[in-house]
Amino acid sequence: MGGLPKKAQQLEAVRGKKSAVLPLDGGALLFKDEKFPPDQREQLIVTAQGIVSAYNKMSFAGVGVARQDLAAGLPFLLGAQKKANFPWLSANLLSRTERKPWLKPHTLLTAGGTRIAVIGLTDQEANALLTEKDNAVIATWEEVLPKELAQLRGRAGMTILLSSYPPAINRKIAEAHPEIHLILQGGNTQGNTPPERVNNTLITQVEAQGKSVGILEVHWNAQSKRWEETGSETLLTDKKNEMDRLGWQINRYRRQGEPTQAFKEQPQVLEAYNDMLARRKTLEEEVVRLTAEQNARDANRSRFSSYSFHFEAMRKDLPDNPAVRAIVDATTSEVNRIGKAAVKARISDSTGRKQEGTPEKYAGSAACTSCHAPQFAKWRGTQHATAYDTLEAKEQQFNVQCLPCHITGPAAQTGQEMLALAHDLRQVGCESCHGPAQAHTL
Amino acid sequence: MNKPTTFLLLCLLALLGITVSASGAAPKQAEPLNRQAEARHDLTIFFANDVRGETEPCG
Repeated sequence: MGGLPKKAQQLEAVRGKKSAVLPLDGGALLFKDEKFPPDQREQLIVTAQGIVSAYNKMSFAGVGVARQDLAAGLPFLLGAQKKANFPWLSANLLSRTERKPWLKPHTLLTAGGTRIAVIGLTDQEANALLTEKDNAVIATWEEVLPKELAQLRGRAGMTILLSSYPPAINRKIAEAHPEIHLILQGGNTQGNTPPERVNNTLITQVEAQGKSVGILEVHWNAQSKRWEETGSETLLTDKKNEMDRLGWQINRYRRQGEPTQAFKEQPQVLEAYNDMLARRKTLEEEVVRLTAEQNARDANRSRFSSYSFHFEAMRKDLPDNPAVRAIVDATTSEVNRIGKAAVKARISDSTGRKQEGTPEKYAGSAACTSCHAPQFAKWRGTQHATAYDTLEAKEQQFNVQCLPCHITGPAAQTGQEMLALAHDLRQVGCESCHGPAQAHTL
Repeated sequence: MNKPTTFLLLCLLALLGITVSASGAAPKQAEPLNRQAEARHDLTIFFANDVRGETEPCG
């Protein structure tokens, strides 16, 4: 799953089929978490720079700023913006002294004959990542958004918000501002979220780590700027079907003669027949009402905007975009080189002794063999036993982002510790699930 | 010309007359719908989020 080369190829395929395509990213692009250990910084920065190059290649129109994007510090993000040909958008990441945005608060562009404003908002929790030296603060959306929208009034036919606020806050924003037509969320842990309509706003997002992309086909009415009201076409169909079934059942009763006479001596049957007649009358009235509503929607359809959407999983069998493939290969190769150099520096000291480390209390899977031979043999046949080998095959065995899921040892290992791990802990071994076993093997 | 032929010819003329008068009405009915349709634009939004530093598929 995942992968920038596949995303790029899918975007190219969509551009080949559609005349107006607007690629946007809700944020949390560069880093997995808002903090990372210092000894992983170099590799993570190189990866982040590679992602910027890939997004440049894809010509994204705008990217939101989530707290994770500030993990390397505000100066790094501002430097990355200079190398990006897409705008990072945040209307509320302001300088503390002048209250002016550090990045572009919005961008205005034209797509599909519609002038579109794209605004960015950064989640308040990002304040914890800003230092005194940064001269920066994340202002509240209540303070910033009304002014931003006032500025854009009359300048755009559609307004999109890239927001890393939590979903509950995004719903509040949608309730307060019907002039925002679409919110693309980022920086949270929700999976693929079909567009939810709140007031006049659709709110949606895809799952993390590039496993899916979202494609929203919009038929936008720039005059009304409102999404069409959706009713339940299936409800009308269900009611009609129930009416047909009742009609058939009523006819069965009537085939035996006029029911009030035919079932005179069977009061329970007559009662059931009368219940059916009453139910059919109710259904007839409901069908008339629902049909009138449906007709009104159909008549007004062209006055409002409509959409359809789907999520596209970045499956392994999808083709790679060659240009982005080259960028990713160069990036991962450089990341591996950095890690390898760090290992070499650590394990070669002046005495030439190996400095491979073993986390405290871990014994290694080989130590389990003497008492658990059948289990060990079974483990040897699983993918866990070759987890590190798969990294070696891809030349990523020195990538500290990959290592945690491919080795044995505590999650709190630093990058240095992971890189210099003893050989028999370099797979997903017994102790990954059963815990450190050194005391058990003594 | 014999009577059946004359009758058929008159029917055809009457039919043509009805068709012409009906088509004259159609454009006026369609106008309001066309104006509404002109206000709609098609657009595809390709969206992503939370790449989280992931360049390559895992596994």
